[in-house]
Amino acid sequence: MWLGLWLAVFGLGVGIMVGLNIPLVLPQAYAKYISVAALAAMDSVFGGIRAAMEDHFDNDIFVTGFFSNALLAAGLAFIGERLGIDLYLAAVVAFGVRLFQNLAIMRRHLLKK
Amino acid sequence: MNKSIYFSIALVSLILGLIVAFQFRTTSSIESGVPSGREQELTMEKRQLQKDITQLREEVDDLTAKLEEAGKGSSQATDAFTSELLKIRLYAGLTKVEGPGVEVTLDNLAENARPGGNPNLYFVKDEDLLKIINDLRGAGAEAIAVNNQRILATSEVRLAGNHINVNLTKLTAPYKVTAIGNATTLKSSLEIKGGLVENLSERITVKVEERDNIVIPAFTGELRFDYARSTQRG
Repeated sequence: MWLGLWLAVFGLGVGIMVGLNIPLVLPQAYAKYISVAALAAMDSVFGGIRAAMEDHFDNDIFVTGFFSNALLAAGLAFIGERLGIDLYLAAVVAFGVRLFQNLAIMRRHLLKK
Repeated sequence: MNKSIYFSIALVSLILGLIVAFQFRTTSSIESGVPSGREQELTMEKRQLQKDITQLREEVDDLTAKLEEAGKGSSQATDAFTSELLKIRLYAGLTKVEGPGVEVTLDNLAENARPGGNPNLYFVKDEDLLKIINDLRGAGAEAIAVNNQRILATSEVRLAGNHINVNLTKLTAPYKVTAIGNATTLKSSLEIKGGLVENLSERITVKVEERDNIVIPAFTGELRFDYARSTQRG
């Protein structure tokens, strides 16, 4: 459990370092999709942490959820732009609500201990 | 917890870190740079301006060509005006001319040849000169001068004491009337039987000579038109 947490923090740090130092800049047109995808990924991670605390963490669900959420969020944003509706707001709301829910559950778990 | 779980956690967090970092950089570059909407707008504007530039260049070429044409036209007009001016100056007697013609010499009758009477009778009078000039004009003289005084439409020929004024210049005998024109016609018109020369020869000496080349000077005085105005406009 704690090893997993440290691994997560370590991976996050390495990812941020690499991302900041790569001499590659994505086109600004993709910024919207990536931001929504990042939100979805964050939601997945929080969900994974919560699952780990509830002791029913499933690796397959975690990985597939991470990628499918990110892709769906980006896809929604893309389609929304084509249709002229800010569909990415749906992803923002849904993932935002879940983020806070997960945080609340994690807080209860930590306090109950 | 087996190893694959740790691996997936590490992978997922790595990707999340990457995405967040990318997004962070993109957002900061958006803030420092130009928004994409604005960029598109500017690009469109640039394209429009380039189109305008091309159009304006074409217009410039067109107008330059027109200007050149107009310049050509105006230089032609200037040439036409200049030649017209020269022609009119020639007609008016303001240029020196030369050509074939006659030279008529009038002089007072020599004293030994006078039959007697009032000596004034045997002097050349303004009327004699005027008659000669008139005859020459009638015979088609193109330019006439008396003692190198060009006769214009405004020239006077007046007796003033012992001399004759032409163009306000005193002339004394002998008077040499030069005329450019068809020499034969001029001469024969003066010397026709019962004509002017025969008439005048009773009182004064008249001599008519054909010349191949006579030079008649330009009018040198001042032409003033204080009262007469052209009624033609343009």
